[in-house]
Amino acid sequence: MIEHDFDEEFVPIAAELQRLPYLSPSRDFADRVIARIDRLQPAQVVPVSASRHLELHQGGHQAVARRRPVGLIRATGRATVGVALIAAAAFMFFEIDVLTAILSAAVAQYAFTIAAVGTQIGALVLGTETIAYLQAGAAQAALLYLVLAAGLITGYAGIRTAAQIAKRKAA
Amino acid sequence: MPARSYTDVSDQQVVVFAQEGREDAYRELITRYERPVFSLIFRMVRDKETAEDLSQETFIKVLNNIDRYRPEFKFSSWLFKIANNITIDHLRRRQVDTISIEGSPNAITAESARATAITVTSGGESPLEELESREIGAEIEKAIAKLRPEYRACIILRHVEDYSYDEIAEIVKLPLGTVKTYIHRARQELRQYLGDLR
Repeated sequence: MIEHDFDEEFVPIAAELQRLPYLSPSRDFADRVIARIDRLQPAQVVPVSASRHLELHQGGHQAVARRRPVGLIRATGRATVGVALIAAAAFMFFEIDVLTAILSAAVAQYAFTIAAVGTQIGALVLGTETIAYLQAGAAQAALLYLVLAAGLITGYAGIRTAAQIAKRKAA
Repeated sequence: MPARSYTDVSDQQVVVFAQEGREDAYRELITRYERPVFSLIFRMVRDKETAEDLSQETFIKVLNNIDRYRPEFKFSSWLFKIANNITIDHLRRRQVDTISIEGSPNAITAESARATAITVTSGGESPLEELESREIGAEIEKAIAKLRPEYRACIILRHVEDYSYDEIAEIVKLPLGTVKTYIHRARQELRQYLGDLR
């Protein structure tokens, strides 16, 4: 006999209650639930206007175009100041003549323009593939040239200082 | 992440997998409990669309808060507790008491009544037994529908889901004595409504 906590009159009803079938929700029930589980959803995409970097990645030409004139003026100003400082240092320490200084400043100022024109001419003469190959190693080459230039300048300054000291002692 | 079989895996273990963010574990929990939860809610609200909405709300709430599950309790008890809370809140907002299992009381046309009718899972009986069973089942459903919602939840959890009084008290957040009283009164009322079954 089944143990229960109700009187005998309720036994057939209890049996029928136990036989009550489960009812089914619609077939896409699980999908609809899963679609609303936060941690299973892909991360929300940040609105384009909220991130300037994202704008750039997604080709936000308007944002770049707006900023370009300010950036260009600022870069030109910095380049000019940089060249002036280098020229002043050159005059003071190495007694470089004015013409050389002006030429150096001009080269530094228009280095990018010269590089761009040079690339175009090079592309015409050597072909775009060759230029691309050369450009791939441009950063390393630039670094190498800078190290070499720094070495030359330091060596030259050392020699001149030693010569001046020797002159003073001789005097 | 490849889907795995959860055939012999306990609810607690499936929950652990769900806490790790495995979608197949979430689906397994839904598969295990969508019918019991939907059945309980339907028998309380007597409307298929509402029962579906409330069941969905229950699962979303449970699964979005799966990290808060405390393994010392049965997962099903926690799930039924939330289902009961959501349903009782709904019933407090809107009193819905009468409906036939054949379709929503809000259905205006025969077509909409069919659309809102419930899919009952067959127990594999012969056609005659099934018909008889369905007739008795329909009588029981009608009798349950006449009970107060609080009685309905308690009697279903006791006799359909086979929970102990203590577990029911935990699920419906009522004192043990109140639960016993509700179940006793529900039985008396069901006996009155279903005199022929005796």
